[in-house]
Amino acid sequence: MSDPEVIVCAGGGGVGKTTASAALALALARRGRRALIVSIDPARRLADAMGVALDGQARLVSLETPERQLYGLMPDPRRAMRTFIEILFENQPEALTRLLDNRLYQVLEDAVPGIHELVAMTLAARAVAAHGIEVVIIDTAPSRYALDFVQYPGRLAKLLGGRAVGWLARIAQRAQGPEERSSKTSASRVERLLAWVLGPVVTDVAGLFAEMALVREPFVALNEQTSHLLLGPATRYVVVAAPTEAAEADARFLVDQLAKLTTTGARALVLNGALSPDRVFRDILLDAPQTTAAMRAVLGDLDQEWASRAESVQAISDALARRYPALPQIRLPHVERADPRGIVEALALAFDVELGRLGLG
Amino acid sequence: MLTDPETPSSEAGHPKLAPAIFVTGKGGVGKTTVAAGIAMAAAESDGGAVFVEFGDGSAGKRALGDKPRNLSHVAIRPAQAVLSAAAPLFGSATLAKLALGNFAMRPLIQAAPAIRELAVLELARQVAHKHQGRRVVIDMPATGHSIAWLRVAQQGRDLTGKGPIHDLCDRLTRELLQPGRASIVVVTLPERLVLHETLSLCRALEQQVGLPVDRLVVNRVPAMPSPEAVSDAHGLAARDDAIGVAARRLSELLAVRQSVWSQVVDSLRESVGQDASGLTLLPQAPADPSATTVAAWLRSSGAA
Repeated sequence: MSDPEVIVCAGGGGVGKTTASAALALALARRGRRALIVSIDPARRLADAMGVALDGQARLVSLETPERQLYGLMPDPRRAMRTFIEILFENQPEALTRLLDNRLYQVLEDAVPGIHELVAMTLAARAVAAHGIEVVIIDTAPSRYALDFVQYPGRLAKLLGGRAVGWLARIAQRAQGPEERSSKTSASRVERLLAWVLGPVVTDVAGLFAEMALVREPFVALNEQTSHLLLGPATRYVVVAAPTEAAEADARFLVDQLAKLTTTGARALVLNGALSPDRVFRDILLDAPQTTAAMRAVLGDLDQEWASRAESVQAISDALARRYPALPQIRLPHVERADPRGIVEALALAFDVELGRLGLG
Repeated sequence: MLTDPETPSSEAGHPKLAPAIFVTGKGGVGKTTVAAGIAMAAAESDGGAVFVEFGDGSAGKRALGDKPRNLSHVAIRPAQAVLSAAAPLFGSATLAKLALGNFAMRPLIQAAPAIRELAVLELARQVAHKHQGRRVVIDMPATGHSIAWLRVAQQGRDLTGKGPIHDLCDRLTRELLQPGRASIVVVTLPERLVLHETLSLCRALEQQVGLPVDRLVVNRVPAMPSPEAVSDAHGLAARDDAIGVAARRLSELLAVRQSVWSQVVDSLRESVGQDASGLTLLPQAPADPSATTVAAWLRSSGAA
C-alpha cells in the first residue's frame, strides 16, 4: 500500500479550524478519496461539526459508498498517556504493572505535553493501514505551539533513545543505594548535585527510567511512524486564519514556524469567514416601503457587521500577502447556520473549487 | 513573604478577587483579552496592576495596546524559566547551568513535563512577591492541562518529601496557590460541549487543586435578535414578489441567530443551573474587542 497524503491544518484559537478541516476532508471524500480526519484539538469540536460521536477508533462519518468514504478519529486527551503506555508496553505486561504503580508516573499521567498528539498519530497510522486511507487531514490544537509536537517525539526519542536514560537511572540508583556515602567520592559533582536536588524521589525516578529503557525499541518505531506521517514528503501544511488581529498574528507565527520546521513550509493560507453573504436582499428591503423600522434597525446593524468584517478581511489579507507573496490565499465564506454540520457542508462546497490551489485537485 | 491577603468579601454575587488572579481556558476563547481587561480594570481601581504572560510578550502587548503607566507587563519565557528558577536552588546560575545543561539533563528538561511548569509558576510567584500590594493577573497558557499546571506544586511537594525542590513547591503552594492568595478565572465560550468541559474543569480545580473558580466568564455571547424585526420579516416573507424573497432571506438569517441564541441560553441553563453567582457574560463583537472595552464590560457586570 502506498503512503497516504497528509494535510496538517494549523491555526490560532477561535478561527474555525476544526470546521474548516472537516470541510476540507469532506470535499476530498466527495472527490472519491478515501479520507480520514483526525482531531487533536482538546476542545473536541470535531464530533459536533460532523454531527456524530467520535472517539479513539476511526469511525465512518459519512458518504458511505465504497468509493466515497470519510472516517473520523478523535482520541480523548485525558486518556492519552495511558493509551501511549499501553501501546509501548504491549509485550511487557509486568513492566506495565510496575510502571502504573510508580508515583512519578502517576504524577505524569495527565501532564505530559505532546503525548496526546503522539497517540493520535499512532492511532491514525493504524487506521490508515486498517481502512486503506488515501488522505489524512490533521486538525491540530488551536495554538501557536500546536506544531511543536512535530519536534516533540524527537525530543523524547533523544531522551529515551540516548545514553541519558542509563545515566539518569544510575545517579538515581546510586543516591538511593547503600553505597550512597562511598558514591560521593566516585560520583561526579553534577551527579551529586542532582541527587541532592531531587531528594527522596530518586527511587521513583530510577524506577521510571528503568521501565522506559525496556521499551526503547517500540518507542523509536512509534516515533519514526509519527515523524513520517507529519514530516514525510507527502505532507502539506495549511494555515487557517480568521479576520481578527489575533488570528493574523497567529497565522504569521505559524507560517514562519512551518518554514523552520518543515522542508516545504505552508502550502496555503485559508481565510475563514472571509466572504460576506450576498447582500441583494438588503438593498431590496431598504427600498421597499413595507420594510418596518425594526427591520431597518436590524439591517443597519447587519451593514455595520459586514462592513467591519470586510475591512478586517482586506487588512489581514493584504498584510499577509505583503509578507508572503507566494502563499496562495483561499477565502471561505462566512456561513451562519444553526447546525454545525450545515456549516461544514457549505464550506466543503467552497473548498471543492479550491482543491487545485492546494495541490489536491 | 507576601502580606496577608485582603479578606474576601461578597458583593453583588461576585466575591472579591484575591491578589493573584490566574486566568485560564482553552485556546481561542479570548483568554488573553479577558486577562488584559481584568488587569486594566484592576490598574484603574487599585492604582496599579501587573499582567503576567508565559511567552515572548507579543500576545500581551497586542491585547494591552496603549496600556496605562501603572500597569506593568511581565513576560516569562518558558524556555529560559528553568534555569532562572533553578539558579537559587543550586546556589548559583553557574552551578545550575552545570547540573542542568549536561547531555542527559538537557533532553530530560526539554522532554519532561512539570519541570517547566514548575519553573514558570515559581517565576510568577517571584513577580507577585516583588509587586506585593498590587494585583497580579496571570494569563495561563492555552492548554488542556491547566489542572496539571496548577497541581504541579502540590504534587512536587508530596512526591519529593524533602530537599530543595520540596521547599520550592511548598513555598509556591503556601504563598501563591492558596485560596485567599489566588483566584481562578475561567474563560469559556457559549457552546454546549465547551461549557460542559469547562464545568468539569471547574470541579476538578476545586477538588484536585483546592482552588475554587471565582469567576466563570462566558465570552462571545451572541445578542438576541429583536423580536419585532423577526416577526415583521416573517410577515413580509409571505409576499409573492422580490420583496418577499428578500424578506425570506432576512427572516432565515434572523431565525438562525435566534436558534443559536436559544441554544446558548439552553446550554448555559443546563450547565450552570440557577446559581449564576460568579458568572459573567461578555457580548459577541464583530471584531476583537480591546482590553479597555473588556475592562469596561467586566466593571459594569461587577466582575472586576
